[in-house]
Amino acid sequence: MRYAFLIAWREFAENAKTKGFWLSLLIFPAILTLSIQVPILLEKKGTPTRHFVIADASGEFAPLIALTIEREQTERAEQALRDFVRRGKYPESLSRFVHSDHTLDLAGWKAGQGANYLKVPGFVAPHPRFRLVALPEGVSPNAAPDLAAQQLRPWLRGERQLSVDGQPAPLFAAVLLAAELPLAATTGAASKGIHYWSENLADTALADLVEHTINTELRRRAYVAHGLDPATVREVERIKAPLTSFNPKKAAGEETVGMADRIRQWLPSLFVYLLWVAIFSIAQMLLTSVIEEKSNRIIEVLLSSVTPGELMVGKLAGIAAIGLTMLGVWVASLVAIVLWKSLGVSPEAAAAAGGMAGIPGDVATILRTTWLLPAFAVYFLLGFLFYSGLILALGSTCNTLKEAQSFMGVIVLLLMVPLLMMTYIPRDPNGTLATTLSWFPPYTPFVMMNRVTADPPLRDVLGTMALLLVCTGFVLWGSGRIFRRGILRTGQPPELLELLKWLRR
Amino acid sequence: MTAPALELSHVTKTYGDFTAVNDLSLSVPTGCVYGFLGPNGAGKTTSLRMILEIIRPTSGTITVLGSTSALAVRGRIGYLPEEKGLYKKMKAWAIIAYFATLKGMSRRAAKARAYELLKRYGLADFAEARTEALSKGMGQKVQVLAAIAHDPEFVILDEPFSGLDPVNQTVMEEIITDLRARGHTVIFSTHVMAHAERLCDRLAIIAKGRKLFDGTPEEARQMLPRRVQLLTDDGIAPLRDLPTVSAISSTANGAWQIELRAGADVQAILQACFTHNIRPRGFRFDEPTLHDVFVQLVGPDAKEATHR
Repeated sequence: MRYAFLIAWREFAENAKTKGFWLSLLIFPAILTLSIQVPILLEKKGTPTRHFVIADASGEFAPLIALTIEREQTERAEQALRDFVRRGKYPESLSRFVHSDHTLDLAGWKAGQGANYLKVPGFVAPHPRFRLVALPEGVSPNAAPDLAAQQLRPWLRGERQLSVDGQPAPLFAAVLLAAELPLAATTGAASKGIHYWSENLADTALADLVEHTINTELRRRAYVAHGLDPATVREVERIKAPLTSFNPKKAAGEETVGMADRIRQWLPSLFVYLLWVAIFSIAQMLLTSVIEEKSNRIIEVLLSSVTPGELMVGKLAGIAAIGLTMLGVWVASLVAIVLWKSLGVSPEAAAAAGGMAGIPGDVATILRTTWLLPAFAVYFLLGFLFYSGLILALGSTCNTLKEAQSFMGVIVLLLMVPLLMMTYIPRDPNGTLATTLSWFPPYTPFVMMNRVTADPPLRDVLGTMALLLVCTGFVLWGSGRIFRRGILRTGQPPELLELLKWLRR
Repeated sequence: MTAPALELSHVTKTYGDFTAVNDLSLSVPTGCVYGFLGPNGAGKTTSLRMILEIIRPTSGTITVLGSTSALAVRGRIGYLPEEKGLYKKMKAWAIIAYFATLKGMSRRAAKARAYELLKRYGLADFAEARTEALSKGMGQKVQVLAAIAHDPEFVILDEPFSGLDPVNQTVMEEIITDLRARGHTVIFSTHVMAHAERLCDRLAIIAKGRKLFDGTPEEARQMLPRRVQLLTDDGIAPLRDLPTVSAISSTANGAWQIELRAGADVQAILQACFTHNIRPRGFRFDEPTLHDVFVQLVGPDAKEATHR
């Protein structure tokens, strides 16, 4: 055991010294932090106010659109003010309007302050997303869409700039409306009634807003034309019976499907990914390590000091430790970042903000109250051993990394299947596909991790686990035999038949 | 007499139809430097690997330091394989210390020992260098040091001289004689006879997996007839009748080559010359070398040397 430990320690120490190891340790938290922070930064500073113009031949809709834009901006500013208050650093003047759960009594505050209710010391209202500006000189506000488009072309293509408050600004979009918009439900030629011109096709927020505003107005007019009261129609349209999901397996009174249940359903997928990444991250290290010793003939010195079994166990343990360290750091950083992002946010406030921040608590509860964690630990360990044994045995029969890569191709293909299946298995965790796949040992850990939260039959749990245990044992035993012979072999990698012979003797 | 350090008894190793080692028996006394000579593909490396229990013999028994399992006494054995290689990214001292710990030394003692050896053999400046930065010769020296770092009483060196320049070959010889001076047993394989001649107390010559000779260098040399070269203008007919002479032939440079029977005294030839009034203009006596013995024994095999 001492010798296996020495081998393992060297593998760990040597791999831990490589730049690649530290890069991969850091890259995951870095990507995670960036992917959270960058959109926030972009939201804060990145997207500039976008200027657009309207040429409305009918002259009826431009004011409506302007009104909608203004209303949207006010809503965003008010939401920002609420968030500002929730973070707790609001001035004394405001405290009278803040409830004990850090929510702002906006109506009360607004009533007291009047038009200046957004001018709070320390609070900066978000800049508007869109701003309607006057048409450039020489473009008639009442021009038909075709003419207006032609006249606006230099601005739309960025050849000329608008002048906004004396500053040059690019024109983001132009909304051109025909004199006659359809009043009946129709598509086709008349659908050209609203022309939206913009070089930016990705950001559809403005286009959606314009379309929605105009169509709501058109419908309102149609209701009036049909003799219906728009207020009544709006009333009718608000009718909505809410849908609540229930789970029949839960105890009475607890059937409501909440966030925790969704996490419970998707958490296994995370574990499956972790296992998958763990296997792949160590596969390369295992292969390189075996092949270096083989091609350098260090293996002979090693085998004069340790048994092939000790060597194999040491290698597996050392490289597994490296892989698990990497994984551990990743998971820890994930948890740390989630906790950090939800820091200072009370659960009620978090729930109000969309429930995202309540996740860590939910996850903790799930891990504490179910046998999910021990089950994952067992499946993870067995799956990990199964595949690393396989990879190590294959590596031992190869002389160069190139030879080994071709074997790895097969393993990669084998491993793609559970990943592809992962979309389907959680939807029907006890269906035929899931059940069949879980009895195939290479896929057992992946599939069973996904099924374990869905209360699979005990027969499946115990049966597949026993089968996997036996198979992992067999793989490790067989790998030991192949390793023992393969490791000293030079020349061509053995044929499959020869490998089988090695297993028998 | 103490028990032999190593004993092979009827050891055979076959790979399918190919017999790498065929019924090999030999005994290496404790404290001796033992040469393992043979042409390429003779089965030297296979034999050494079997001694180390890296591979198992097909039949026969091997006893190393009184144990039938080399792994059971691994801490007392040092091994330098034929093909030399090191972990490229490891530092010189770390490799030596690592292999020493695998032989049972504590980590602290192994580290101290590594630095000490590197200093003693002129590599102190390279202790912190990664082995990929070392020259081939230096790398090989590091590997030798790694093999003996745990001060094994039984050292197996497979082709220790190959790839070394003359200076480092001398260092290698020093290492071997140092080991012998401290009563350790050394087996080394080579096909360079000069090293064997200078270092070996005993040697074995094998070819095609069979042992052809086993004994001291002196015994090996006695296997060949001793030869005397005689240059004279007088007739040498009387010498033909001497009991010590087995054959006489003329050589290209006009001298006579006289082959003596085993155990014959060279002086007897000179004496006979005086008696029969043969006046030598030149007289030369060369002991046969191991090289001659080797070529004589394995010559035909070596030419058609087969390789696994």
